[in-house]
Amino acid sequence: MSDFYQTGIITTLHQLGKPSLERLESELHGFSRTRPVALVLPALYSEFEGPAMPGIVRELSKVKYLKEIVLTLDQASEQQLEMVREFMAPIATEVNIIHNNGKRIGEIYETLGRNGLDVGPPGKGRSAWLAYGYVLARAQSSVIALHDCDIVTYSRELLARLCYPVANPALDYVFCKGYYSRVSNKMNGRVTRLLVTPLVRSLQQLVGQHGFLVFLDSFRYPLAGEFCMTTDVARVNRIPSDWGLEVGSLAEVYRNYSPRRVCQVDIASTYEHKHQALSADDASKGLMKMTVDICKSLFRTLASDGVVFSDGLFKSLMVTYLRQAEDTLMKYEADATINGLEFDRHEEARAVEAFAKAIAMAAQVYMENPMGSPLIPNWSRVGAAIPGIFEMLQTAVATDGK
Amino acid sequence: MACCASLTFYEAIRTMDNVTFRAEIHEQIEKAGNADILVGIPSFNNARTIGHVVRAVQAGLAKYFPDHKAVIVNSDGGSSDGTMEVVHKTSVEDFNAILLHHRVKPISKLAFSYSGIPGKGSAFRSIFEIAQRLDAKACVVVDSDLRSITPEWVELLVKPVLNGGFDYVAPLYHRHKFDGTITNSIVYPLTRTLYGKRLRQPIGGDFGFSGKLAQFYLTKDVWESDVARFGIDIWMTTTAIANGFKVAQSFLGAKIHDAKDPGADLSNMLYQVVSATFDLMENYADVWVPIRGSEPVTTFGFEYTVGLEHVNVNTARMLKLFRESLNNLREIWLDILGAGDLREVERLGALSDGEFDFPLSLWTRIIYDYAIAFHQKKLPTEHLIKSLTPLYVGKTASFILAAEQMEAAEAEAEIEKLCMEFESSKDYLATRWK
Amino acid sequence: MTEFLNLMLEPLQEVFLKFKSFLPNLLAMLVILLVGILLAKILRIIVVKLLIAVKFDSWSDRMGFTTLIRKGDVWTKPSAILGAIVFWLLAIVTLMVGLSALKVAAIDQVVGHFFGYMPRVFSASIILVVGYILAGFVSRAVLITAANSGFHYAKLLAETVRVLLAVMTLAMVMEQLKIAPNIVIAAFSIIFGGIVVALSIAFGVGGIGVAKRMIEREATETTAEEPKDEIEHI
Repeated sequence: MSDFYQTGIITTLHQLGKPSLERLESELHGFSRTRPVALVLPALYSEFEGPAMPGIVRELSKVKYLKEIVLTLDQASEQQLEMVREFMAPIATEVNIIHNNGKRIGEIYETLGRNGLDVGPPGKGRSAWLAYGYVLARAQSSVIALHDCDIVTYSRELLARLCYPVANPALDYVFCKGYYSRVSNKMNGRVTRLLVTPLVRSLQQLVGQHGFLVFLDSFRYPLAGEFCMTTDVARVNRIPSDWGLEVGSLAEVYRNYSPRRVCQVDIASTYEHKHQALSADDASKGLMKMTVDICKSLFRTLASDGVVFSDGLFKSLMVTYLRQAEDTLMKYEADATINGLEFDRHEEARAVEAFAKAIAMAAQVYMENPMGSPLIPNWSRVGAAIPGIFEMLQTAVATDGK
Repeated sequence: MACCASLTFYEAIRTMDNVTFRAEIHEQIEKAGNADILVGIPSFNNARTIGHVVRAVQAGLAKYFPDHKAVIVNSDGGSSDGTMEVVHKTSVEDFNAILLHHRVKPISKLAFSYSGIPGKGSAFRSIFEIAQRLDAKACVVVDSDLRSITPEWVELLVKPVLNGGFDYVAPLYHRHKFDGTITNSIVYPLTRTLYGKRLRQPIGGDFGFSGKLAQFYLTKDVWESDVARFGIDIWMTTTAIANGFKVAQSFLGAKIHDAKDPGADLSNMLYQVVSATFDLMENYADVWVPIRGSEPVTTFGFEYTVGLEHVNVNTARMLKLFRESLNNLREIWLDILGAGDLREVERLGALSDGEFDFPLSLWTRIIYDYAIAFHQKKLPTEHLIKSLTPLYVGKTASFILAAEQMEAAEAEAEIEKLCMEFESSKDYLATRWK
Repeated sequence: MTEFLNLMLEPLQEVFLKFKSFLPNLLAMLVILLVGILLAKILRIIVVKLLIAVKFDSWSDRMGFTTLIRKGDVWTKPSAILGAIVFWLLAIVTLMVGLSALKVAAIDQVVGHFFGYMPRVFSASIILVVGYILAGFVSRAVLITAANSGFHYAKLLAETVRVLLAVMTLAMVMEQLKIAPNIVIAAFSIIFGGIVVALSIAFGVGGIGVAKRMIEREATETTAEEPKDEIEHI
């Protein structure tokens, strides 16, 4: 059980006591009449062969309050699409699959490109973005929830808690981010623990109490892939197409809404998903690519809000970060010790070194090209540029589904 | 065999194939020729009670069907306490006590030991065989340990078949609100939801059925399976409904029978009943998957309430078993129920006795998950269903706690609520079944 | 001079002759290897296809094999693993047959030993698989029965049964493989006997108090006459 301490400028919804899932779901069922919920699942085909997907499908087949599920599928052939469809069959809720490698959806991306709308390279960001578009096009849901498909310990309680703050009209949050403790026999979630939080705090030291930094620091798990928002948020937000997705999305929410309408919710007592390998040398792979993307996204967001980045600032940042990270590391070591968790000090220190390298790399990329790859445009603009796009998207998914 | 002379060749072959009766039985069947009504009484060491049952049946036949030719068949499982002798000796000495003036056709009696796998199913099979041989129009089977059977039962179970055009008549009893919990919390809601007919006592044990249905039962190739040993009741009910026979139920009053063996293991009982029900789901998936909702069935008889005596139940012990099992069977349940519902079960385990309340929707999903796990063969059947025992015990304790102060009708309303929950969640079962 | 040359050439000639007689064997070996590997590859494909057709993967998910191999950090599909086993088994057999085609006495002996040992490996692996399934089945049966009768330590009991069965299976496998049979039997007797003795001592000595309390409680409970449940479940 957690404490009930509120930190930061956003609301934190803890898991206190043993709340009944039964009650939560029946309330959600009530809300779903006025605020129907769509669930967006970004997935790779390989995840359907993994250990997590059967459990997720099983749990989802018990959920009654969802209006629709949109599975946005990447790296799958036509044949595999059929297998995925078969796999999702036990779910009674309407499931629509966006086949991102398919001919029709490919054509949609081309259409967008032809009209000067850069939707970026294939990836989770772009696929999730298209799924929002599809939900908007159908206009049947007013809440969109999203979570990853690699959660081994998935329970539908996670989904219920994630949707609740936004679906409940009395609470009236527009955006809700999930958080959870990533603890098995040791502490996981290194990127958040050792990169994002120390980096954000170092930046605060250097540039002062910048609004976005305070906002970002309020999140207990800014990189969590689980969140829920109203369709309005999905309509006006622009998102990065790379690994900066989470940070970039938070930046957009910060820009468009008051922090009072943003919350984070404790969604799971245990959480386990696949880990990314740390490759210190190859920046385009795995965790390294992710960290560089995150840092770039952070720098660009701050710069767009008036923060001046210079060579000197970056140099100071490196030093400040290292000290912050080392301090943090000691805190976690103490925390692990008292809880009897494994803690590989050396491994953690190596991670900090790798992250420092990533920050340097990101700084270099930023200095060379401050604009970087643009964000994917928001759906309001897309709709204005290509009036028929929503219909086209619906037709594409419907025809793929036949 | 001289006795077979009048049987057709085909029937003779069948006799060889299926149940082989001893020569004197053949003679008796021959002597009886044919019959309008057949009353079957399966038995195994029921000398104490079967006399009463036979008397009640004889009286019923004499009183309500004086002009019909009737046969009482006792299909015995090799009793050692002289059950069959009791059947032979028992007769109603003075019909005048029951009847005013009537010409009574003689009622033949047939008592024999059936062959085949020992079990109620095999006993029934012999009864069906004889019904077919005698070309009976209506059949009745009643348990041999009944203490509350009255002559009216025969009428109530036979009339709908003989005059009403029904093929199958299930019983309807008034029982204590805490009795029949496996029926109330699993078999009735499940059967009703699956096949859409509100038969309140699908495994009552006393049934009426037409000769046509008896013949249909014989065509089914189940007599070497578990149906022969146990689960014949649910099998008969389900087979009748799923194959479109006309079903009804008759109100028989109270059901009181000889005290069951106290050593009978609950998890074994659960295993027999539930596995039989799940097994039938496999066979009739085509029938039940498309059905939604349910409809009442025609009910005969005059309903009246039966008094509720106090019943001792130790809910504290039941809840203790439930909580203890939570630690021990956690992994198995996680596999069957999934993470979300396991957590709900765990939450239940943390509640005190006073606030313990098993949500109906959770129980529904648990039964459906078990059915699906059975279908997917997640565990060996016996392991699977026996692991349901503590959950069932928890559910029963919750019901008893909730219904403690309730009138019979209110308790019945609770069961109705559970059925509605089963019906409204059927989509889940149907979509996951594939 | 010619004598000297002859002296030099003779051994060379001998070597050449030997090589000449050896060459067909070598060629035979290469052909056997090539054909064998090819055959093994084809067989692997057939095996994998067959296993997929009979839904072997989901069966092994249910039987817990998948979890078992995942614990060993193997993330390939069970059918693929079995395919690989078949392939390598055939590859090794091919290698052995190929080597024997060389007709070298020492190698022949090794090959002979190898083929002599094969049945043992086969039966050992069958014992291993059956033992694993049996241990899981029995311990689960114990777990459920004990839990249903309200035994607090059901899980512990079931785990104990599983470990005992696993030890027994392993001992049988070792015995079958003839790996230091004497030591295995001795070790098995010691471990198995030790466990039993330890358990009886633990229950005997350590459990006196507990047993006493249990008997006392049992006695007080029965004297208090816990009312029997009177409800009928069916």
